[in-house]
Amino acid sequence: MTGGEDGAADEPRQAQPSPENDNPFDIWLKRGLHQLFDDVANEPIPEELLRLIEEDRDDRSA
Amino acid sequence: MTSFHDQVIQILPKLRVQALSLTRNRSAAEDLVQDAVCNALAAQNSFIPGTNFSAWMHRILRNRFISDLRKRRETTDIDDVPAASFASNPTHEDSLALKDLSLALSRLPADQREALVMVVVQGMSYESLAEATGCAVGTAKSRVFRARRQLEAWMTGDLPANDKLRVKVSSLRALLDDRRRKGLKSDDLFTF
Repeated sequence: MTGGEDGAADEPRQAQPSPENDNPFDIWLKRGLHQLFDDVANEPIPEELLRLIEEDRDDRSA
Repeated sequence: MTSFHDQVIQILPKLRVQALSLTRNRSAAEDLVQDAVCNALAAQNSFIPGTNFSAWMHRILRNRFISDLRKRRETTDIDDVPAASFASNPTHEDSLALKDLSLALSRLPADQREALVMVVVQGMSYESLAEATGCAVGTAKSRVFRARRQLEAWMTGDLPANDKLRVKVSSLRALLDDRRRKGLKSDDLFTF
């Protein structure tokens, strides 16, 4: 329902081939950026932040 | 139908990546994500169901980042934050090329760095990037293109001999080699 890069609405656009895919530097860059950023994306979400969200959910449903 | 709060939780990893791309500092990125989530929770009634939640959320984080910068200094811009290292994980220690990339990234304008990371790492479309950053699609494409080519120029040495980044990278390489020979760690070298 939301669209965006998390929703199905963007999938076809992401799958489109781009000239960057053939450039050796861009291939290396993509790999390097994933090495730099994937750890951050995969780290556990802090409990404090999750609690904040859940408390707000509870407050609004009460 | 996914609830608002579930959507917030699902997008947190991507917000962290965006925050790190803007702040260049893990601790500051964590703070920025938390602040952006607080703003989003407070403003959730303004989100229109069925519209692009991802773009809405990324825009809140970006606006919070800019707002925080302005609070710290009255005359500042999006690029005016202290440089820091992206790569703090010890498993990256052996990759000099990755350290070079981290350093080069920190020299990019923040809007280009953010655009590059959101497209390349997050797989975001140019249309969503434009919506999330409040610019035209052409501008979003241009930012990513310029970021790629600037990094390529820096990383492949297509620069004048007196370029400051090249000089800095060369000196860091020498320092790293020296420390490695002596068996010393070099984490502290990349916290500027």
